[in-house]
Amino acid sequence: MPDMLEITAYALQVLLIIMALAIVTHKNTGTIIVLIAVFSLVTASLYVINKAPDVAIAEVAIGSAIIPLIYVISISRQREFIVLDKAMDDFIISDDAFTGVGYIFLKRFTDFYHLELNISNDVRLCSVGRGREQKLCEETNVDLIVSKDEETGKYLLKGKQSNILMHKLKQMARDYDTIEVVTFKDRDFGD
Amino acid sequence: MDPMLTFLVILIGMYGLSTSKNIIKSVFSVTIIESGVILLFLNLGNWQGGSIPIINGAADLIADPLPQALMITTIVIGSTVTALALMLCIKVFHHYGTVEWREILRRGEGK
Repeated sequence: MPDMLEITAYALQVLLIIMALAIVTHKNTGTIIVLIAVFSLVTASLYVINKAPDVAIAEVAIGSAIIPLIYVISISRQREFIVLDKAMDDFIISDDAFTGVGYIFLKRFTDFYHLELNISNDVRLCSVGRGREQKLCEETNVDLIVSKDEETGKYLLKGKQSNILMHKLKQMARDYDTIEVVTFKDRDFGD
Repeated sequence: MDPMLTFLVILIGMYGLSTSKNIIKSVFSVTIIESGVILLFLNLGNWQGGSIPIINGAADLIADPLPQALMITTIVIGSTVTALALMLCIKVFHHYGTVEWREILRRGEGK
């Protein structure tokens, strides 16, 4: 029945255009991800109508499963602000709960930017010496390193200078005597 | 099948790319453009009266298998391009604290 197939093809193409307009104009990101998955399924059925079932198999597997997964993972990871806690005392965690002075300070900062505070005390990363901290900040996704200066008793918050957020952190740290914000200078990577 | 309707999908994607204020929205638009290009190529290789390119002895006219092979590659590469763009988007967010294009330009100048 060639007529039936043609009608189906036109209906699917009109549906495809409506889906594309919905994706472009919609505001909510979570809804757009679901729409992208449905959009991929519609295109896959159009590939079958265009006599390409092999491409349709690849599109169903990748377009409607893996791409939405990539979007969900990256959007949920986007708002993480990762802090490496090298001080290991009651600055951040006191009495097995997040009630330390440093935690309240960092929480105020991350709430201001609607970020998600993620405090890590990974043993492998914490054992990095002072000289290699800048390299750690550049190579991994750690945003801030908290450590204690033994001589002055101040807590040092270290981050990259190029990070715009560090300026705000410096401003907020002026109210506290025990907190000092240190920034690493950006190294030129050559051309 | 009308190639013009397929072309409209590409145009909608370009409209989204040029009007989106958010980096993630731009990546969504790139995905739409990619789907439109794949459909256009398959449409051009699918001539009237052709059948699926699985030769079983008797087929005399088949759809062109070459664009189909190329388009499988395009789908795979498109997914990796999406992943790379979103990774750069996370880096930009950690650097500037926002993913809005205008806000990034403003903060970059005011440094």
